Amino acid sequence: MTVSTEVGTRLAAFAEAVGPTGPVAVVGGRTRWDLGGAPTEGTRLVTAPVGVVDYQPQEMTIRVGAGTTVADLNQVLADAGQRCALPDRGGTVGGALAVGQNDIDLLGRGRVRDAALQIDYISAEGRVVTAGGPTVKNVSGFNLPKALVGSLGTLGLFGEVILRTNPAPATVRWLHAERAEPLPVFEALLRPAAVLFDGQAVWVKLEGHTVDVDAESRALEALASFREVEGPPPLPPHRWSVTPADALRAATLPGQGERFVAAIGVGLLFADCPQPARPADLAARQVADRMKQLFDPSCRLNPGRRP
Amino acid sequence: MTDELEDELRRALPATQVRGSRIRRRRGSDAGRSRVRTDSAERALLRRDASVFDGGVAGPVCFPETAAEVQAIVRIANAHGRAIVPRGAGTGLAGGAIPLGAPIVIALTRMNRILEVDTINRVAWVEPGVINLDLSKYLRPMGYHFAPDPSSQQVCTIGGNLANNSGGPHCLAYGVTDTHIIATEVVLPSGDIVMLGGLDPEPDGLDLRGAFVGGEGTLGIATKIAVRLTKNPPAVRTLLLSFGHVADAANTVSAVIAAGIVPAAMEVMDQRITIAVENYVHAGYPIDAAAVLLAEVEGLEGGVQIDADRIGEIGRAHGATDVRLAASDRERALLWKGRKTAFGAIAQIKPDYYLHDTVVPRAKLAEVLAQVYEIADRHELLVMNVFHAGDGNLHPLLIFDGREPGVLDRVHEAGAEIVRASLAAGGVLSGEHGIGVEKQAYMSEQFSDDDLDHQNRLRQSFDPHCRSNPGKVIPMGHSCADIQALRRVPTGVWG
Amino acid sequence: MDLTIDPDELNMCVQCGLCLPSCPTFRVTGDETRSPRGRIALMRAVQNDDAPLTPEVLEAFDTCVQCRGCEPACPSGVPYGHLMERTREALADDGSLTPVWQRWALKPLNQPRLLQIGTTAMAVAQRLKVLPDRLGAPADLPLRHHALAPSATVDAPGRETVFLFTGCVMDVWQSKVHAAAQRVLEAADVAVIPTNRLAPCCGALHTHAGLGDDARARAEQLIGALPERPILVDSAGCGAAMKDYGHLLDTEAAREFSARVFDIQEWLAPRVDQLPQVDKVPVRVAVQDPCHLRHVQRVHEATRTVLAPFVQTLVELDDDGLCCGAGGAYSVLQPELAGLIRERKVEAIDRARPDLVASANPGCSMHLAGAGVRTIHPMQLIDAAISKTPL
Repeated sequence: MTVSTEVGTRLAAFAEAVGPTGPVAVVGGRTRWDLGGAPTEGTRLVTAPVGVVDYQPQEMTIRVGAGTTVADLNQVLADAGQRCALPDRGGTVGGALAVGQNDIDLLGRGRVRDAALQIDYISAEGRVVTAGGPTVKNVSGFNLPKALVGSLGTLGLFGEVILRTNPAPATVRWLHAERAEPLPVFEALLRPAAVLFDGQAVWVKLEGHTVDVDAESRALEALASFREVEGPPPLPPHRWSVTPADALRAATLPGQGERFVAAIGVGLLFADCPQPARPADLAARQVADRMKQLFDPSCRLNPGRRP
Repeated sequence: MTDELEDELRRALPATQVRGSRIRRRRGSDAGRSRVRTDSAERALLRRDASVFDGGVAGPVCFPETAAEVQAIVRIANAHGRAIVPRGAGTGLAGGAIPLGAPIVIALTRMNRILEVDTINRVAWVEPGVINLDLSKYLRPMGYHFAPDPSSQQVCTIGGNLANNSGGPHCLAYGVTDTHIIATEVVLPSGDIVMLGGLDPEPDGLDLRGAFVGGEGTLGIATKIAVRLTKNPPAVRTLLLSFGHVADAANTVSAVIAAGIVPAAMEVMDQRITIAVENYVHAGYPIDAAAVLLAEVEGLEGGVQIDADRIGEIGRAHGATDVRLAASDRERALLWKGRKTAFGAIAQIKPDYYLHDTVVPRAKLAEVLAQVYEIADRHELLVMNVFHAGDGNLHPLLIFDGREPGVLDRVHEAGAEIVRASLAAGGVLSGEHGIGVEKQAYMSEQFSDDDLDHQNRLRQSFDPHCRSNPGKVIPMGHSCADIQALRRVPTGVWG
Repeated sequence: MDLTIDPDELNMCVQCGLCLPSCPTFRVTGDETRSPRGRIALMRAVQNDDAPLTPEVLEAFDTCVQCRGCEPACPSGVPYGHLMERTREALADDGSLTPVWQRWALKPLNQPRLLQIGTTAMAVAQRLKVLPDRLGAPADLPLRHHALAPSATVDAPGRETVFLFTGCVMDVWQSKVHAAAQRVLEAADVAVIPTNRLAPCCGALHTHAGLGDDARARAEQLIGALPERPILVDSAGCGAAMKDYGHLLDTEAAREFSARVFDIQEWLAPRVDQLPQVDKVPVRVAVQDPCHLRHVQRVHEATRTVLAPFVQTLVELDDDGLCCGAGGAYSVLQPELAGLIRERKVEAIDRARPDLVASANPGCSMHLAGAGVRTIHPMQLIDAAISKTPL
C-alpha cells in the first residue's frame, strides 16, 4: 500500500526548513520534551514530514515520515495484521526514535534500537543524508542508524525512516498473580512478552499462537494462582535502567521510593523517584563528544540537549 | 620493518612459558612459542582471508592473550605510526582482515576463553577468539545458545561476528549479531580501553555499542564481549520442500511471510548446489529438484505444528513437488550441515568461487534470481544459488577455474552486474559479509557522497588517525587519512 | 621446489577455513602456519611459487600431527593426508625433513629381535627409574616377550580364519592387547593366526616421516606374507596405513590386499551376536576415537557397537573427535605441542566423568596414560567381561 510517493520533494522541503545555519530542533508530540535538557532559548522549531510513504506488509517494512504519530502508524500496521517496536506514548515516530526508550513489553515487540532499518536525516549542513538501508538485513557500511537512535536529534534531524515490522500475534493475554516469585515465572516461560513485578504481585504478558498461550498459562498455574487481567499495572513515573539481576532485587535498590514496577529479565524499572546519576565511562564520553563535534561542529542541532 | 618495533612488541608479548617442557624448535626458527612472528611464512599466509583478495604481505603478527596486551600493541603501533589489523579465524568473505600496507596484525585466536555465563542477566562474557559454535555447544546443557549462526559458525569467532555484524540462517527470526551483543570492552585505536553498552536495557548516552558493531575492525578491537543468551526452544520442525522451478521456491518464501509466519529460518538452494552438497553430506537432499527450500520453525509444540503444517500447505499451493519433515535430530543436523558447508562443497566442480551477498526485497527474489542466471550465462560462467531466502539475502556463487585465462575478468564483470541488478531492485550491497575491500567500489552506487561522508565521520569518532584496519569499508576518496596510513608493501618477501 | 604433488589435488582447497577447528595444532596455537589451510597455502607457495624452505616453513610441515581430522571437515574433499605425505616424502628425499637420527630410529621396526632387545633395555631402565617420561613408553614395559600361538581351530571346517596383525612397537609393548583380541575372536568361534614375524611392520611411521621407499618396501613384504584371509588390525594407525596400500603402491595386488584389511572392531561389529552373552561390566566408559579410526578409516561407530553389550554405560566425548596429540612418533618429536593438545583431550575426558577410557589405538592409550588417564583397549574390556576378570 502506497499512501504517498512524493518521497524526494517532502524531504527536500524539510531540509530547506532546517537550513544550513542557526540553532534548530524538531518538535514532535512534546511528550519527552525535557529529556536530556530542553532546547536553548532562540532555537528555531521545525516539524518533520508526516504520513506513510510506502508499506509492503510482505517485506515486513514500512517507510514513514518522522512526523507521523505512533498512533497513526500503529493503525496502519494493525490494519495489515502487523505491529512494530515503537511505544505509543502520544508522540511521533521521529520522537520515539530520537528518545530510544523501549516499551515495557520489549521482549515481545523488540527493541526500539533494532526497529530503525534506515533513517533519512537532515545534517547540520542542511543536507539530506541516508543511514542504513531499506532491507531487513543489511551490513552495507557502518551501523549509523544505531548512533542516531537515542541521540535526541543531536547528530541529525530525522525526516523519514524505514522501520522493521512484525506480524501481530494471534492471541495476547495478560495474567496476574497477587503473590509470586518473579524469577521462576520468568524461567518457566519460553518467550514471555513481559514479566512485571512490584515486590509482591507478578503480571505476565503472553502472546503468540492460542495453543501456545494456553499451554504457557497452564504452566504458570503450577507456580502461583494467576488470573487473566486487562493489562499491566499503572507504572510509577520515573524510569530506571538497571541490570536484570538488579531488577529482581528492586526493593533493595537505594533511592527508588515506595512503589516500583520492574520488568523481569529486562531491567527496566519504574519507580517513585528518579534514578540517581550513573558514573560515565570517560573514554566513551570522549568518543561521543568527538562524534557530536564531527556531525554538528557548530552545535546547532537541538542545542541544550545531551543524550 | 624496524628492529626497534619488533623488540618493543616482543617485550610486550613475552614468549609463552609451558611448564615442564623444553623448547623444541628448528634451529633458526622464529616460531616456537614466540607470540610475535616476523618470519616470511607467517606474514605471507596472512595476506588472505577466505576471500579472493590479496592484501600483500603483513607486518609483524602478534598473538596477544589479554586486553592489556592488545592495548600495549596498539600503543606501540601508534608510537611508530603503524596501522593495525585485527584478525580472528580469517573466514571473512569480503577481504576485511587482509593486511593492506603491511600493518601490525593482531591475531585474536588465543583470546578464546568463555569468561562467565550469567543466566540471571541472560548473558555470557566471552573473549573475541571464542568460536561461535563452541559457545553454543558450551551453553547447550544450560538450556541456551547464541542465536547468530553464520554458515561458518564451526570456525568463525565471536569477535569476527561482532566486527561484521554477521547473520546466518536463524537471524530471520532472531535478528543479526547486533541484536545479541549487549556490551563490549574495546581497545580504541588511541589505546584507551572503554566499555560500550551495558547489561541494563537503556544505557546513558549515544549507543556507541551499536555503532561499533559492524565496524569491520576499523573502529577498534573488541577484547571482551557480553552476548545475549537465547533460550533453546523445546520444539523444532525442519521441513524440506522440493520445487520444479527456482521461482516457485522464491514465491513460497514471500507467501509464508505474507501469511504472517516468521519461521526461524528459510533457506533455498538450487539444483547445482544441492547436488554438490548431497554428494558431501548424504543427507537425502533431492538431487532431481530444481530448487529446495529448507524451512525451520521452533518454539512451543502446538504453535510449531501449526506453522509447519501451514508452510507445507503454502509450499504445495506454490508448486512444491514434495514436502518432507526431518524425522530425527540426526536427519535435521545433516540437512543443516549440508546447507552450512555448501560453499566449500563446490570445489568438487571447480576450484575457485566468488560469492556475492546482496539483499533484495523478498517480493523481487524470483525476478532478481532470473537476472542472476541470465548474467552468468551471458558471461559463460557457472552460477549456483544458495541463499537466506527469508531475509531476501542472495548468495550467488560464481564458480570457475582461476587458471583459465581471462576468467577472472568475466567473474568480476558478472559480479558487478549482479550487484547492480540487486540495487536496482531496491536492495543493498551486503546482507552479512560486510564491505571490506570487496564492495568498496560499489558503495557510491548505494550511497550519496553526503551519506559516505557521514559514515566516515562515524569512523573518525573512534579512529581519528585512521590507523585501525585502513583501506576498508569506505571507498578511497571518501575516507579520512587512510591513504597515508597505507604504506607500500615491503619488497623482498616472497609470494 | 617441486613437491611432486598432483596440481589438481593441490588446487582443490578453496581456503574457506572450515578445517581450522578440527586441527589440533591450530586449536592450541591459533596460528595459521599450524593449520591445514595454512600448510596447504605453504605447499602451494613452495611448489608453485618456489618459496624458499625457511625453518618456519619446514616447521609448519613438521608440526602437523597427520591426524587428518581436517579431512572429514572439508566439504571440498581435499585429500590432505596425501598432500602432506607427498610433501614430507619430497622434503625427506631432499634432506630438509626427517634428520638422519630419526631414519635410523625407525629402522629396527621391522627387526623384531632388535626391537625386543631395545624394549628389554628400556624395561630395565624403567625399573631403575632412569627412563625419561617424554618417550611416552607404557608404565609396565615387559622384560620378556611371549609370541602368540595360532588357534587350534585354524582351517577347521565351518570356522572363519583370520590374520591378527601384531605389528612392531605394539607387539612388544602391548602384547596383552593382542592376547585379549585373540581370546575375544576365539570366543566368537573365529580361528586366529597371529602374524608375528610373518609381517613385522606396516610402515605407517615411515610414511609419516616421509620415508616413502621404506614404507613401500614394508608394504610389499606384508602383501606377500599375508595372502587370502581377512587381516584384522587392533591398532588404528596400522590399519589405516594398510588400508592405504592400494594408493601407496598403486598395484592391483595392493588394492586386493587393502580390501581385506579391517579394523578388529569394524570386523566384529556385524558378528557381535556370535560373542557370548554375559553380564555387563559395571563401569562408565568413554570412547576415545583414534584419529586414524575416525577420520581416516571412518569406522569408529563400530567400537560402540561391539562395546555396548559388555559395558554398563558408554559416554561420548564432546570434542568432535579432536586428536589427542599422540600421532605415532609425534608425541616424542613434538612433546610441547603434543602436551598442549593432550590437555584439551584430558579436559574433554574430565567433562565426561568416565571410570575408564576405551581407545583402539596403542599410541593414543600410551599418550593419554602419560597424563594419568586410565585407558584400555576395547578388546581388553570385552575380554574381561567374557572371562569375568575384574578390571
